[in-house]
Amino acid sequence: MKLRKLKYSDSFWAFILLLPNLLGFLIFTVFPVVASFVLSFSEWDLLSPMKFVGVSNYVNLASDETFWKVLWNTFYFTLGTVPIGIALSLLLAVALNQKIRGVKLFRAMYFLPVISSTVAVAIVWQWLYNPHFGLLNYILSLFGIEGPLWLTSTTWAMPAVIITSIWKGLGFNMLLFLAGLQGIDSQFYEAAKIDGANAVRQFFHITVPLLAPTTFFVTVMSIINSFQVFDQIHVMTQGGPARSTSVLVHYLYQNAFQYFKMGYASAIAYVLFIIIFVVTMLQFRRTKSWAIY
Amino acid sequence: MSKHVVRVCLVVLSVILLSQAALAQVTLQFMGWEASPLETESVQRGLRRFEELNPGIKVEYIPVGGDEYHTRLLTMMAGNAAPDVFFINAEGYYRNFARRGVLLELDEYFYQSLSLDDFIPMEQDKMLVDGKIYGTSSCVVAPVLYYNKDLFDKAGLPYPPSDPKEAWTWDEFIEVAKQLTIEQNGRVTQFGVYGFENMHPREAAIYSNNGLIFSEDYSKLDMGPKAQEALTKILELRTVHKVSPPAAFLEQSGMNAAQMLQTGRVAMVADGSWALQELAKMNFSVGVGVLPIMERPITAGTAHLHSIWSGTKHPEEAWKLVEFLSSEEYQIGLVREGLWMPNRAHMYELEDRGRWMDPEVHPEGFEGIADYFADYVLPNPSIFVPREAWDIFEEELDKFFLDDQPLDKVVENMRRRIDPILQ
Amino acid sequence: MRKVTLGRIIAYIVLVLGALSMTIPFLWMISTSFKDLSEVFVFPPTFFGEKIVWKNYLRVSDRYPFGKFFLNSINISVVVVVFQVLTSSMAGFAFARLKFKGREALFALYLATLMVPFHVTLVPTFVMMRNFGWVDTHYSLILPSLVSAFGTFLMRQFFITIPVELEESARIDGCTPFGIFARIFLPLSKPALATLGVFTFMGTWNDYIKPLIFINSVAKMTVPLGLASMQGHYSTDWPVLMAGTVIALLPVLVVFLLAQEYFVQGITLSGIKG
Repeated sequence: MKLRKLKYSDSFWAFILLLPNLLGFLIFTVFPVVASFVLSFSEWDLLSPMKFVGVSNYVNLASDETFWKVLWNTFYFTLGTVPIGIALSLLLAVALNQKIRGVKLFRAMYFLPVISSTVAVAIVWQWLYNPHFGLLNYILSLFGIEGPLWLTSTTWAMPAVIITSIWKGLGFNMLLFLAGLQGIDSQFYEAAKIDGANAVRQFFHITVPLLAPTTFFVTVMSIINSFQVFDQIHVMTQGGPARSTSVLVHYLYQNAFQYFKMGYASAIAYVLFIIIFVVTMLQFRRTKSWAIY
Repeated sequence: MSKHVVRVCLVVLSVILLSQAALAQVTLQFMGWEASPLETESVQRGLRRFEELNPGIKVEYIPVGGDEYHTRLLTMMAGNAAPDVFFINAEGYYRNFARRGVLLELDEYFYQSLSLDDFIPMEQDKMLVDGKIYGTSSCVVAPVLYYNKDLFDKAGLPYPPSDPKEAWTWDEFIEVAKQLTIEQNGRVTQFGVYGFENMHPREAAIYSNNGLIFSEDYSKLDMGPKAQEALTKILELRTVHKVSPPAAFLEQSGMNAAQMLQTGRVAMVADGSWALQELAKMNFSVGVGVLPIMERPITAGTAHLHSIWSGTKHPEEAWKLVEFLSSEEYQIGLVREGLWMPNRAHMYELEDRGRWMDPEVHPEGFEGIADYFADYVLPNPSIFVPREAWDIFEEELDKFFLDDQPLDKVVENMRRRIDPILQ
Repeated sequence: MRKVTLGRIIAYIVLVLGALSMTIPFLWMISTSFKDLSEVFVFPPTFFGEKIVWKNYLRVSDRYPFGKFFLNSINISVVVVVFQVLTSSMAGFAFARLKFKGREALFALYLATLMVPFHVTLVPTFVMMRNFGWVDTHYSLILPSLVSAFGTFLMRQFFITIPVELEESARIDGCTPFGIFARIFLPLSKPALATLGVFTFMGTWNDYIKPLIFINSVAKMTVPLGLASMQGHYSTDWPVLMAGTVIALLPVLVVFLLAQEYFVQGITLSGIKG
């Protein structure tokens, strides 16, 4: 009787089904998150014994110029990639939604950069950005523009990394928008047409509001991703020149694995966490009505 | 009878087996970075020789590429799986690792078979950490001035001197560089010189101008007017005299310095002495001179050390390998190829020079360069400060060289950011 | 009628321009990979070299065991995909359809960790791997990836959209919760499973920072890490580097072309109903 009951018990099956997931989750996510927090109050080089130092890592961060610089760079990168990336991918999605020929082909082409490894993409773009022999400055020169030095210029290195990152992420966001667009009932557009609304009005009065849940998701995901950027920077510029492309995760990596300051690196990780948390919360609050959770 | 024979055979067999076991191979892991494929080949040739000399020891060489070398080394040590013997960069890492107790202290081994006084003074300074030795010097390398002889002949100019006593003054050097800078249709097709803004020639210039970067005890930044004057003079090669290509020219051209020299895009290149190995194999007539002097002839040397992991299971064998790597025999192999310069004082004596100079590699006049290395090398200051501090130094200098920021402001930034790290 | 045509023309122009900018870097990569080194440093750049230089492709594997990198990457990716899809769908079902105490709180915890950047866990994970003796082994790349909060979230979102009626009628027919999961929900969620699978495959195949930190031996490297170390060696030998990237990109391309429909369908359906 009891067993029979158990067989139909939601709680029992929930436990069984959750168990493997929960184990992995606790060991490889929750524990490291907590451990990292503890580590952020210590001084440790992995080799000698750990030393607890209270909040001094955080205090040092506050007065660490390099930290403020990489923090700013991270914001710069995010502000550079997210809005433009979202606008462009929305534009492409709307264009692709026009019931035209070759949708599949276009979709595949836009998705190429998404599936490619960031390391491979970064190496290819490094070559494109070569000021003398790269394709990019050649194309610019056809329009009479003298291209910048890109990755070796303190001014242009970050824009270069941003362009590559937008290029890489465009297809993914586009696909999400496309899915959202296809979920909009065509009746809305037909009604609008009867009311005499033009395409632009339709876009702003129907597409944009009805797409809001998708936009919300894409925005949050893009921000979270761009705050964590590392691969392309590590491959393309190593954070240089003059630290102009060094971002939070790059500085974290340097501190942990080049300067061997595990505690300090953990403190940086926690600052990153807090920023992402705050941004996400702001988004949640602002868009509560659209949220699905 | 036959039983007896069998028994004897068994005994003999077991003795053989036992002694075999006693002679069992020890395999040492030896990790190094690969600056060039040529270097790896040379190292491996040396290791084969070591294995011949020491039949009980096998060496597994692990060449690792690029910037991540010391990160890997650290993670291997932290993971308790480090190689027994490894290269370690003198700049930023050797002292750092030694003070963390992960390098085997070598005093007891070192002084049994080697003598500190044998080494040129710079190498003694490099090896000693708080009076103890944690790694033995591999060699010494320092920047020199390479030039393309054809371009000098074409311009009818004398070659840069290789004798440090006759070194060009900075002004003489600029004059020559100007004559070697050729413009066609408003585009410079050949530059006089490249390389002084890079690490090593840059520090050599500062020392040559009697400047300092850090205080004597490396407890704080100490870049006075002399050092700043040297850096300004370097910048002016490009901005005032226009004899040097734009900053970061190398990255942009897609060529390395040797290729630029070979293809005649640049007439002179200030670069490390190690480049000779590659240059000597390229098909053009390359010359080697001493760096021009600001106030005194000087160059700033460095080079990696060979260290043993404190967690090694085979310290004796590991030392044998390190000892071999420090031997003249091994060193001369790499020196003759142009990659290294000798680290022993006596090897610079006249009668010893023939043993390591190879006319196929070391161009005419290299005698002077030998004098240069014997008497005019100071250790690069980056050897004595943590990597972090040096990163900031480089970062701030980038602002001066690439971003046109005023030097006094840059130095002020350095002082503010570096001093807390050094204290 | 004219209006629609105009709209389509604009759409075409936008799409073609976009497609060009998406594909040109790849074409340039392929073209460079077949050039001789001397043809690379010319101005203006040319798209086609004098002759096709296959040698570059041989030189890639000359110095690097690219075949080995491939096997490593495939091994790791396949194991991670299988387990992650499994654990995610199981837990996702529990969160979506089973009632148990603390469900909301636990799910909120999962959601919260979605906001935790992976890099926060980097140092402790490294320390853990070291203590387990798994540094420089593939365990360090596989085990932390077997479970994913994102995958769990994705599957939960998908399961929520499945009509309740299906589940209720099954319950009335005497189906256990597990039966509902295995016999009703799983078959219905093939597109979602495929999406998660392909996402996970891409993520694992392309992962860079974990191998960078955990793997030391060349023989154990994955494709991106191998590629990045190759960059260190051939700093300016662009034809060889480009040949390496071409090789590195091929398998993901194949997987994508094969699974494209599933993938797009999956995204559209599970809709990341955002």
